[in-house]
Amino acid sequence: MALSGFRMNLRNVVKVRNLLILPLSPKWISTTSVSQKNIRSGVYKTTNNRSRPLTYEQAQKPHLIGVTKAWNSWNASNLDGEHKCLPETIWEDVFIRKFMTGTWHNLFVSEIIIKRRQNLIVVAGLVSRSVAARKMYFLLGYTEELLSNLLKRPVKIEIQTVNSKKDVFFKWI
Amino acid sequence: MAVRMLLNVFKEVCKVPTCAPHASNLLRVGRQMACPLQSSRLYSYCQSTGSEPDKLYKTLELEVKGHDRIVMRSYQQFVQMAARELDVKISKIWEPPKAVIKRWTLLKSVHIYAKHKVQYETRTHYQTIEIKHVTGSTADTFLEYVQRNLPEGMTMKVTRHAIETLPAHLIPPAASSSPESDVKGQAST
Repeated sequence: MALSGFRMNLRNVVKVRNLLILPLSPKWISTTSVSQKNIRSGVYKTTNNRSRPLTYEQAQKPHLIGVTKAWNSWNASNLDGEHKCLPETIWEDVFIRKFMTGTWHNLFVSEIIIKRRQNLIVVAGLVSRSVAARKMYFLLGYTEELLSNLLKRPVKIEIQTVNSKKDVFFKWI
Repeated sequence: MAVRMLLNVFKEVCKVPTCAPHASNLLRVGRQMACPLQSSRLYSYCQSTGSEPDKLYKTLELEVKGHDRIVMRSYQQFVQMAARELDVKISKIWEPPKAVIKRWTLLKSVHIYAKHKVQYETRTHYQTIEIKHVTGSTADTFLEYVQRNLPEGMTMKVTRHAIETLPAHLIPPAASSSPESDVKGQAST
């Protein structure tokens, strides 16, 4: 056990004495480097009785983006040397997300995923089955038609339904 | 609806200046056509039977950029499968081992606290697929298919290399037969 670089003060003396009494357990000294991760971002406040649910995306911290977590909007405007239509893309994303949240009242259970393939915009996500199928078909057609006319390009919506919100809960904190 | 699409395609064929649309050509085109979106294929068909011969390319470089390396590798597999089915020769596939990383170190707070910063980064992965010895019509068809299936978040840049004859002002006056030289013809998408 390496005792070098050990500052001699009362506290450490006490620890050493404890060591001498107890069997050898090297847990009290750390030789690893400091992890430079941002530990304060993407943090949700925990509850005493673990009653707060988190979805899978919320449970993954930002440093896991690209590892176990994927992006919410897929486009080519952030690539190296492709920044021409970045402001328009950002604006369209914000608009689409606000529109979807406002039109599908409390129906979206996951993040709204926006994919751009050439001229086509695909809006995807998980929707809960709290509304009848007929109404959902109407909402699909209405959203597609309105968004296509407002954004002046073909917009397709690909949703998957889930029984209720509880099916997406991944972790309780 | 289908009739309107057919008429649109015939209008496209008529617009082509290089070949005069004979009745026989149009009939052949009408029978062959399955999907109205293959207008470029019709154009190249017209080209091969018309006055101009089909252009020959020495190499075709497809440079693909993306954020996700795994998605790019699966797209590369797709391109290889398509090339195998269409008898297109892929000579080289290479990707630089490291991505191009752009980092921003910004202040975390709106006012003061300059010791506390936040970092953002974007990573761009590159991959190049080289195809050799294709004709213009083959290149157009293959590229159209492959580009229509490009996944979201990826871009493609195509560079076509063709061999051209040396221009007249560069041929030395004494030499009767001049050697042909390689001239790069760039066409980026």
